[in-house]
Amino acid sequence: MEHVGPILAAAPVTLGVTAACLAVGALLGMVLLSGRRSRSWVVRTLSRMVIDVLRGIPPIVFLFIVFFGIGSGAIRLAPFEAALIGLGLISAAHLAEIYRGSLLAVNRGQFEASQALGLGRTTTYVRVIGPQAMRVAIPGMVTWAISLLKDSALVSTIGVAEIMSVANQDARASGSSLTPFIVAALIYIALGTPLAFLSRCLERRLGVTGGR
Amino acid sequence: MTAHTPDHPIPILRLEGVCKAFNGHVAVDDVFLEVEMGQVVAIIGSSGSGKSTLLRCINLLDVPDSGRITVDGQPTHVQGGVSTRELMRLRRKVGMVFQSFNLFPHLTVLRNISFPQERVLGRSRVAADARSMALLERVGLTAKADSHPPRCSGGQQQRVAIARALALDPKIMLFDEPTSALDPELGLEVLAVMRQLADHGMTMIVVTHEIHFAADVADRLVVMAEGRIIEQGDPTSVINEPQVDRTRTFLSAIRDR
Repeated sequence: MEHVGPILAAAPVTLGVTAACLAVGALLGMVLLSGRRSRSWVVRTLSRMVIDVLRGIPPIVFLFIVFFGIGSGAIRLAPFEAALIGLGLISAAHLAEIYRGSLLAVNRGQFEASQALGLGRTTTYVRVIGPQAMRVAIPGMVTWAISLLKDSALVSTIGVAEIMSVANQDARASGSSLTPFIVAALIYIALGTPLAFLSRCLERRLGVTGGR
Repeated sequence: MTAHTPDHPIPILRLEGVCKAFNGHVAVDDVFLEVEMGQVVAIIGSSGSGKSTLLRCINLLDVPDSGRITVDGQPTHVQGGVSTRELMRLRRKVGMVFQSFNLFPHLTVLRNISFPQERVLGRSRVAADARSMALLERVGLTAKADSHPPRCSGGQQQRVAIARALALDPKIMLFDEPTSALDPELGLEVLAVMRQLADHGMTMIVVTHEIHFAADVADRLVVMAEGRIIEQGDPTSVINEPQVDRTRTFLSAIRDR
């Protein structure tokens, strides 16, 4: 039982890393998406390359590049900052693809009606297409949030004192390897299950009212 | 019949040499068409004859490869692309109604009609809503103002779509098979609204298979095949004494259905 307290105390850090990376990813994902939908061929190609690269590198490798590679050179990055940049950018790439898929799910007629009415490109995306695409994107975004919650354990390797990092220290200090990690696993499950539940609820709700 | 004066016709729309191809397939082939103010023109033809593409070329949903489109005295040359400003200017004068309605499902019926007015014409919300309610009254749907489109029947959605287009005060209304996705009785309520619109002197171009509507309401019937206008004239004479074999075959196919 003495393991639970300190590990649980690190849960807010895990949640903080997850939420911050998700927020960064959600915003930068929009930027990458607009790049992919740009009218300029160069911008489209560059955006696609950035997305492919970010999705192609294992998260731990990218975190090491950011923290040990870039972060200890010209710029000094604190572990949390490096985590935010690393997992935030990876999230941006994944969320951009989720957004893009949800845009494809919006009926072509919605674009045509907007055009025929004389609405501008920005108005069309922000007021007509976006709200409809968001309904489609939300379940995928929640799924991404769940895997991000679990992947945030990776930032223990660059010294962020979240659940996994504290469990590891506890295991070394106490000499008991099983219990601290079981406790960590249970906390991850306890944090992730409500999200999974939320995702299923949203899917059901949006499935019913999201029809056209 | 409509309120135009045959002695002094004012051309509101002129298409000159409009061509459009998709991946080498010619959809619209060198079409000339002139429509006078207040005229109702019905376009018929088998599927693939280019009638929908021609309609979509008029408001540049499909930008023609060549030709000139003059709406309300303002010509748009399409050669080498069309600027966004030109697009917007042209689309402000042309309203369009689609086969699949294309209402915005996340907005109420009222917002569907008001929101474009606020954005495109800069009307205040109060002014836009007032205009929307007047139009909803005209299409008999004031009771549906606060409903969302998926909660309306197809016929109701199409009448809302007509109101939405009218709210922007277009000079010309384009209808792309407005009743094809509807049950016959729901189609009738849409046709009734269109008939009323024609009686009020709206210039209309209607791509349709509703031959009775074309005969009753249209001032001119245009028959298309393989991207060209093969025959046109007074609807009753074209229907009763078609001059071209293709027209005869097509009309008898419609009647036999």
